[in-house]
Amino acid sequence: MKQTDRSVRIVVAQPNTPVAGVDVRTALRRLGAGVELEVVGDAQTCIDLCAAGEVDLVVVDYTLAVHCERILKELRSAGPPVVVAIRDASDDVALDVFRRGASDCVAFGRDGEEVLAVVALEQIRRFRTVRDRGEAERRIRHLEQYNESIIQNMNSAMLVVDMDGRITFCNPPAGKILGEDPKALRGRAVWAWFSSDEEEVSLLARTLSSGVSYKGAERIVIRSDGTPVPVGISCSPFFDSAGEKIGAVTIFQDLTEVKQLQSQVLQTEKMASIGQLAAGVAHEINNPMGFIHANLFQMAEYLTDLRQVWGRVDDLLQVIPSGDLETIRAAGEELSELSREVDLAYVVSDFGKAIRESQEGSERIRHIVQDLRDFSHHDSSEHVLADVNQCLDSTATIVWPMMKQIVVLEKDYEDLQTVACYPMQIKQVFMNLLVNAYQSIEAKVGESGETGKVWLRTRQRDDGVVIEVTDTGVGIPASHIDRIFDPFFTTKKVGSGTGLGLSTSFSIVKRHGGSLTVDSKEGEGTTFRVFLPLERDEAELDGD
Amino acid sequence: METDPRREQPTLLVVDDEERILSALRRTLRREGYQVITSESVYEALEILDTQPVDLILSDQKMPGMSGLQFLEEAAKRRPDAARMLITGWTEKIPAEKLEELGIRGLITKPWDDARLKEVLRQACDAVWPVVTARA
Repeated sequence: MKQTDRSVRIVVAQPNTPVAGVDVRTALRRLGAGVELEVVGDAQTCIDLCAAGEVDLVVVDYTLAVHCERILKELRSAGPPVVVAIRDASDDVALDVFRRGASDCVAFGRDGEEVLAVVALEQIRRFRTVRDRGEAERRIRHLEQYNESIIQNMNSAMLVVDMDGRITFCNPPAGKILGEDPKALRGRAVWAWFSSDEEEVSLLARTLSSGVSYKGAERIVIRSDGTPVPVGISCSPFFDSAGEKIGAVTIFQDLTEVKQLQSQVLQTEKMASIGQLAAGVAHEINNPMGFIHANLFQMAEYLTDLRQVWGRVDDLLQVIPSGDLETIRAAGEELSELSREVDLAYVVSDFGKAIRESQEGSERIRHIVQDLRDFSHHDSSEHVLADVNQCLDSTATIVWPMMKQIVVLEKDYEDLQTVACYPMQIKQVFMNLLVNAYQSIEAKVGESGETGKVWLRTRQRDDGVVIEVTDTGVGIPASHIDRIFDPFFTTKKVGSGTGLGLSTSFSIVKRHGGSLTVDSKEGEGTTFRVFLPLERDEAELDGD
Repeated sequence: METDPRREQPTLLVVDDEERILSALRRTLRREGYQVITSESVYEALEILDTQPVDLILSDQKMPGMSGLQFLEEAAKRRPDAARMLITGWTEKIPAEKLEELGIRGLITKPWDDARLKEVLRQACDAVWPVVTARA
């Protein structure tokens, strides 16, 4: 609605047959080509045109007296200015016309044409000035309301701070996250809620000091009651009209629910993979259980043998004080006879061996259960420095029983720097990759008795660590390779995969600022490559 | 039927990739009157079958390289008269028809019950070993 760009539009009301001599239309033609003239012969048409809008001026030939009265009456309260052209002007008539609401009145005499043009222009200018100012004010008011309603009603929290970090604006969601009345926040230092990160300088502080923007970072905000709230946060510097940095604006969302959902999905997926492992794990526990159980029975028998032998030893000890050599010799012979009979030397040595083997077996069970419990645990909310080799190896331990019949596993680990991560999530990624490698080999060798190979490789890079899981399985068809990280994409038969394994793995690695990539050749095998960066912050820089 | 007059005891071959299981089985069967041979590898076990008489074969099901069923099938080609038995973890379901088809005389689950294990072996032995008096 840019009114000023439009050409000038004037409605001229004059008799259909112009009175001889001068006429209004001719007079207004002097205004030039930019003026659009609409000539009408009656009041109604004129009023209708004005009602339709975009008329800057109405000029009425007073010859149309009745129509003139009506036009003045209709347009008096709202509408364009009305100028009345009178041929035989008298003060009475002019006064009457003004009284009825005319903006001006022009005596249409010898100089009438000139005067009329000047008056018309002046009226148009005034009309437009007033109208445009009103329009501008309306637009500013509208914009203010518009912005206000967006900021007040948006779900995201928004804070504006000055260069000292004092809050200059805060919307209701921001108040809600910080646990304060938004109005009470104005003027207070933002660091009470945002300074929690001591290691990583607060993004807001960095934006204020260096003018860098951040978007989509995840941080913890400390609510006034002390509750940590996970937020997704973006910060940008805030400039005045002269381009001077005067503060920062930050927009953030409460991620508590998102985090909960995310963790539920992770847990569900993890439990699904544990389900897949259950058979292998049960087998792995069954073996030591089997021999511990058998050994215990055998050791009970050994104990019976030893008790018998001890009985003979006791007999011998009883007769020694008598000093009767014959009796002593007889007791000694009975002792050695029984010892031979029960194979005492074997029993004594094998008893020890049975205990050692059983101890080792129970240690193995303890270890498996521990690994499984570790694996099924939720991560703590903070990431920790972890040895990725250890994560990979303990995961391989859990998966191994399931795969050992058809898989030869080769490990090639390089010494790695510790990486800041959520170890349970990283283990879950490894678990998914190992299970995939196994299933891929299973799909290839079936029950043929052949085996496949899985390599686990870790490498230290300058900027992070690389973990590769390579298998000699069926490989991934080129037509599937773009979709394997999509949620619910699966080619496995019902029950053997959730279709979430790789997509979950992908998002876990992404959240760690790393990458998960794949190389595969159908029929030959697949390599999944996980990269985990040492420095996570770069990924959160704006425009990464 | 193997009737080697020089052998006084039936020979039992036990195959399991888990050395501790073999050790425990040897312990359990120490006084059962078998000459017990153990092997951790199915390939080694097949060689044993090629080179010496064996009357009873007890094999684990889940082993690297070959399942117990596959191994027993191979074993049957080499020693058709030997009694064949399978030990499994409880997780593998092996249908009875499959056992029958392969002529497997006994199925023992881990962890096994000593008395039942001995009983299954004794019955199998009675069927294939004629010298009943040789056992303790």
